[in-house]
Amino acid sequence: MIQLESPVFDKFTVEFAPNELIFCEFEPGNEFYIIQSGRIRIVKIVNNTEKTLDVLKPGDVFGEMAILEEEPRSASAIAVDHSKLLKFHRDNFDALIQGNPQMAYKLLVIFSKRIYDAKRRLMILLLEEPQLKVMDVLNMLAEDDPHIDMQGPIILRCNIQEVANWAGMQISDVQKILTHFNQLGKIELFNDRIHVKNIRDFQRVVNSRRKSSV
Amino acid sequence: MAIQTRSYKSGSIVYMEGDKSENIYILKGGRVILTTKKVEDKTWVEVKENVKPGEFFGVKSALGRYPRDETAQTVGDTTVLSLSLADFERMILQNINVVKKMLRVFSNQLRRIGKTVREVLGEGESINPEVELFKLAEYYFKMERPQMAGHAYKKYLEFYPDSKYSSVAQERLQRIKSGAMGGGGNDFSPSFEPETARSAVSASDDLTDFSIDDDTAMPAQPAAEQGGSRSPLANEMDDFLSESKSDDLLDDFTFDEPALPSSAPQDINEIFYEAMRLFSEGQYNEASTLYEKIMNFKSLQNETERKTFEKAHFELGRCQYKLGKYKEALGTLSSLIKKFPSSDMIKSSLLYIGMVFEDTKNIDKAMTYYSKVAAMDPKDQHNRDAQNRLNKLQNNQGKR
Repeated sequence: MIQLESPVFDKFTVEFAPNELIFCEFEPGNEFYIIQSGRIRIVKIVNNTEKTLDVLKPGDVFGEMAILEEEPRSASAIAVDHSKLLKFHRDNFDALIQGNPQMAYKLLVIFSKRIYDAKRRLMILLLEEPQLKVMDVLNMLAEDDPHIDMQGPIILRCNIQEVANWAGMQISDVQKILTHFNQLGKIELFNDRIHVKNIRDFQRVVNSRRKSSV
Repeated sequence: MAIQTRSYKSGSIVYMEGDKSENIYILKGGRVILTTKKVEDKTWVEVKENVKPGEFFGVKSALGRYPRDETAQTVGDTTVLSLSLADFERMILQNINVVKKMLRVFSNQLRRIGKTVREVLGEGESINPEVELFKLAEYYFKMERPQMAGHAYKKYLEFYPDSKYSSVAQERLQRIKSGAMGGGGNDFSPSFEPETARSAVSASDDLTDFSIDDDTAMPAQPAAEQGGSRSPLANEMDDFLSESKSDDLLDDFTFDEPALPSSAPQDINEIFYEAMRLFSEGQYNEASTLYEKIMNFKSLQNETERKTFEKAHFELGRCQYKLGKYKEALGTLSSLIKKFPSSDMIKSSLLYIGMVFEDTKNIDKAMTYYSKVAAMDPKDQHNRDAQNRLNKLQNNQGKR
């Protein structure tokens, strides 16, 4: 992703110790960050519990919503390892990309991906029946893996918790549905993966339902 | 180079929703209409959008390498330029203002979608960031995570200096600075604080010559202990630390059996924090039940959960120590050391093992463990603690 090795960026480098907080949820933010080394955990308090949304790696960008305008952070960012970040204030953004059009291009790519992922998620969330949501999460996971041949049985690396997060549902509800699919022989359920016999089937069901609801 | 000019008759499809392609287009002449279903505002209504001459289209799906999410159709005779990703990159790098404009458009779009996602998830728009920031600080204060809490209180005071809770925030900050946070009563700072985390870096190296199931690696094993004078408890402990028993312990943690996880509605971190709370209130039995539950978790989905799983070992050992279940404590702590040799909790686990031995009057073993901990780099409060305990034991021995 984005690697900016030039000494020009030295003055933008900030370092964080393991477990150190970079910014917290709801804090107004004017900077965005590019990870040079180390991992960053993105967490959010949901129902009085800290939930990890993502663990970002070198080359990843976060806090990018601050590029446009000051806005409260939607999650907290915490260093997992000793981490080196490039920190850019919104005011420097124009000058920054003027001198580094390459980075601007990379940001375009990142935004494109994020928009798609968010839209795809929204498509799942907008389905009304819980079964369809769970099916569509599996569809999405299959779409995400370029090596998957949709014609045959496929293996999706995921667990119930992840499916529940994507579907915006309770784990217990998701588990019931997946167990049901399992009993029907449509899927085989493991701790770390789900085998789907015929993902085309799921795609057809979801698509037809989506069309009819429009 | 590979930039092609393409001419279309009226009503032609340049691309269809669902197509996969890495081409990006510029409208040169004529008219192109993009038809898309508006998922952003939850309506699924078809929206038509005109591309203006000179404008790009098909950018996001090509850059993000996902299927087209709109259909591009011509109206009237139309000419477009078709670019590969590489062409596009070259072209826009010459014209950074176009990129800036696109970035703003994209980030606005992302913001809108994010807002809708939050609405659908019921996370609401009515939240007041000022109050939420304070609540966040309170949450971390309650959880005894001073760095997180301190940061949030500071930001709260910085951005909302004259607000409702500013005096509370001030007072909390003072308490954090003076170290008088939460209920206290813990022997160690919470294990997720930076100091502890940093101290783990070299701990694993130190342990290479210090495997706790290998008695020969323990320096200065007193001869008397090899004889018949050992207490039954000490023997039992050694059994627990021996290879075969620990392997049995590990068998409880196989991760790959295809069984469904038992219906656990709560997530691992939720249970962990609840257990931490119980521990801080001295409810060690209840806390250990929860930690045991965590140790039975079969699927850990990310690094945090693995870390929590790892920490639960230490916390359970600590509970068992508090409850006087010394054998169990040794089993738990030694399984942590075995399973997570580079854990942040190694040093604290060794210290607790020393304390178990001290409490069960295995003074020599206790001293061995304390001196090991005291010598481990980098130095932190655990070293000081171990050194103090070691000094005390040495003094007592001197008196005898």
